[in-house]
Order: sequence, then C-alpha cells, then structure tokens
Amino acid sequence: MSTLLAPTQKEPKAIQVRSRWAKNLLTFLMVFGPGLIVMEADNDAGAVSTYVQAGSQYGLHLLWLLVVLLPVTYFIQEMVARLGIATGKGHAAMIYERFGAWWGRFSLLDLLLVNFLTLITEFAAISLALRQFGISPYIAVPASAMALIALVTTGSYRRWERIVIALCLLDLTWFGMAYATYPVWHHVVRNTLVPSLPATGVDGSYIFLVIAIVGTTIAPWQLFFQQSCVAEKRLRFADLKWARLDTFVGATFTVVVAGAMMLIGDYGLRHGVKFQDPAQLAAALAPIGGEFLRRGLLMMMVNAAVLGTTAISLASAWAYGEVQGWPHSLHKKVSEAPSFYAVYVVCVAAAAAIVLVPKLPLQLVIVTVQVLAGLMLPSAIIFLQLLLNDHALLGDRWVNRPWNNWVNWTIIVVLFALSLLLAMQVIVPKLFA
Amino acid sequence: MMSTLTTNMDFHPYSVVHPLDDGPEQKCGTEDLGRMEITRSVKISLLVLRGYLLLMMGMLAYHVLNLTGILH
Repeated sequence: MSTLLAPTQKEPKAIQVRSRWAKNLLTFLMVFGPGLIVMEADNDAGAVSTYVQAGSQYGLHLLWLLVVLLPVTYFIQEMVARLGIATGKGHAAMIYERFGAWWGRFSLLDLLLVNFLTLITEFAAISLALRQFGISPYIAVPASAMALIALVTTGSYRRWERIVIALCLLDLTWFGMAYATYPVWHHVVRNTLVPSLPATGVDGSYIFLVIAIVGTTIAPWQLFFQQSCVAEKRLRFADLKWARLDTFVGATFTVVVAGAMMLIGDYGLRHGVKFQDPAQLAAALAPIGGEFLRRGLLMMMVNAAVLGTTAISLASAWAYGEVQGWPHSLHKKVSEAPSFYAVYVVCVAAAAAIVLVPKLPLQLVIVTVQVLAGLMLPSAIIFLQLLLNDHALLGDRWVNRPWNNWVNWTIIVVLFALSLLLAMQVIVPKLFA
Repeated sequence: MMSTLTTNMDFHPYSVVHPLDDGPEQKCGTEDLGRMEITRSVKISLLVLRGYLLLMMGMLAYHVLNLTGILH
C-alpha cells in the first residue's frame, strides 16, 4: 500500500520519493485509468452522433445540459468505484450474489444484448468514417476488429490500459477542431452557464434530444465496466480518494469534449449543412472548414468507436466471466482464461460481421439499443444504490451517507422518468405527436 | 560534510507501490452472507423496478402488435 514507511523499509517494486507532494502525485498516476477510460469511452460513436446533432439542430442551446450532467455522472460512477474497491468484485457478480440468480441473469442478459447491439453501431461508424478515406468496409471493419482483439489478448492489463489512455488523450483533438470552427466564445460561456431555449421553443424534438443526451452520457455498461476495471486493477481502500479524482477528471474531460462536439455541430448549423451522420458532416465541412476539420472529425469518429468497442466488449466479458465463475482477467494469458477472451472475441467479431451484411437495418438496431438501455439503466442503478446501502456487506464505513442517498435517489427518479419517456417516444411515438 | 550531503540526498521517506505490485488486502466479502436482507426500502425498490419493467414490456408488446397490424 502507498503508506508512509520508515527510510530503511523497502518493498519490492516500491518507488521511493522525497516529498508528500511527489508521493500523492505518483499514487494518483498509478491509480489513474479506470475513471478516465470509462468516461471517455462513453463518448463513443453514438455519442459523437448525438452531440453533433444537438449542435447542428439547436446550436449552443444544449451546452448547459452537459454542466448539469457532470455531477450526475460523477456521483453514479463514484459509487461504482467505491463498491469495486470495497468488494474487489464486479457489478454483475454483486447483483448475482446479493439479489439472486433471477435478477443476476436478467441484468446479465440485458447487458449482453444492449452491449452487442451498441457494438454494431460502433463498427457501422468505423465503416462510414473510413469509407470517406476511400477504404472499403470489407477491409476497414475486419482490420479494426483484429486490432481490437489484439489490444486485449496480450495478457497484460497495464499494456491495455496504457494504450487505451493514449487513445483517450487523442480526444484532445476535439478541442483543436472546436477552435477551428471560430466559435463566439462569450456565447459559448453564456450558454454553458445559463440555460437558454432555442428560438423555436421547446418542442418534441428538443425534449427527445435532451433525453438522448442524458441516455448517451449515462450508459448502463459504464456501471459494470468501471467496477470490474477497478477490481481488475486491484485498487486498495487507500486508493479511493485517487479513484474519485480519476473519476472526476474523466467526467470533466468527457463533458468538455462533448461540448467541443456540439460546437462542431453548431458550425454546421451556421453554414446550413444538412447531414445524416457525422461522416457526412465531415465531408460537407471540408470546403468550409478545411481538410483538418474533415480528417479530424473522421479520425475522431473512428477513435470514439474503437474506445467504445474495447470498453463495452470488456464490460460484457468481465460480467459474463464473473457470473459464470470463469477466470476473467486481462492479467491472464488466453490459454489461462479462454472463455473470458472468447466472449470478448465473439462480441467483437460478430458485431463486425453483422455490419458487413448488405442493407443492414441500422435504424432498427439503434431503436432497439435505446429501448433496451431504457430497461437496463434504471435496474442497474437501483441495484447499485441498494448495494451501496448494504450494511451487512460494506459495514458502516463504505455505505452511502444520508446526503449521498438523497442525491442518488433524486438522480434515480429523474433517470427512471427520462428512460420511460425515451422508451415511450420510441415505442409509442403517437403519444408525442 | 560530503557524506552528510549524500545522506540527505538519499533520504526518501515515502514509498509508493503500484496497486498491481502490492499484496492483496482483505475486502468486504460476500461469503456466508447469502442474499440481501429484504428490508422495507429494498422491497419497495424491487417492487417499483418490477412495475417499471412490466410497463416497458407492455409498451414493447403494444409496439410489436401495432407493427404487425393486429391492433388496426
């Protein structure tokens, strides 16, 4: 543990530093990872599409929502990190052990299904973006799938984490792209800090987009992923404050990147660009904003899809391995945890193969993802809240404080209502006509 | 003088270990705990969740029936 030791004491692989400040910084850097990855991977291909669409439809008028979502997403993921550190186990395992096989299987199956369908949308984005570079989907998609499989099958969590953190940091490019769209900065600041309505007022489309942004920013797989990742990294009780900081840094970075995506959508709006997906926007922006914007948007779309795919597939593989009792760790070689790696490989390979099917009904996939996520998020979050109030499991030290519970129950009620509204919009659209 | 300086330079009172290089620590275990005790709040939460899931399933069934044209 990163505890104060006498000068003569030496631990294997311990790094000796001279000041408390250096010790804190180094400990944070060692703990850093799961929080950033879970948050940044949440800015996946679907999120890019949603945020860019929000900017292109309503300009800067939805920036305020990101500020509201920052504490919400932090509070939820902090609970996950705390539970992972306290128990050393993943979310799926905890639901299975504390709520029984029925709820355990329901959560697992729903997670696997919604994750798999989301993976299809990630590969669809890779296909669309790389096609703009003249690369055939029949090359781009299998090559991406193989790279994603190679990324996790090295038998080293650290190697996977370092590469994925580097991919997360590539998202800094979004800031350069947003800067290149010449936003009016005082409008950006004002719309970020003060909620404002578009000139068209609040209509069904605006409400739907608000709900979609909430659903994009807080996704069910994130709960499963971060808890398993924290357990995989073997974070210690003493690491909790650094895990919280990691989560906060990740949440802040993600929200600011999402804002940059909205600015790019707003640039399209200012120039009257119409598009169906971000790849079309990139092509349309080239004559206006230059090649940097076009290439940047396409590459960042691919990066978002790659980050989303590795995190979502791992969330599935960890959860399935936990519930089945299989060895499930990136520390193990393929031969030591074959079933765990098989789940990851099957998820990635099958989603990639489906994307190559001609005339794939992608819209149906997206609608199904939204409905299943609406089913999944409230249930996963209810279990999380109940587990964080489980005194028999966590004792008095790690359970939620009363103020935690007030904040979290409020968030849960709002998420229930929004998930229900989103599902109703998708399933019974006439209600909103 | 030189020796004192060297000693001070080498004085590193803090030690940091990467979580993956550290020894295991005792976690909050689920062994022998069994299922969670069904208190009133747990019961209400699970009931609300069941109701929510039933409502969603009902809407989904309506949507499917609507798509197949049975409701027209």
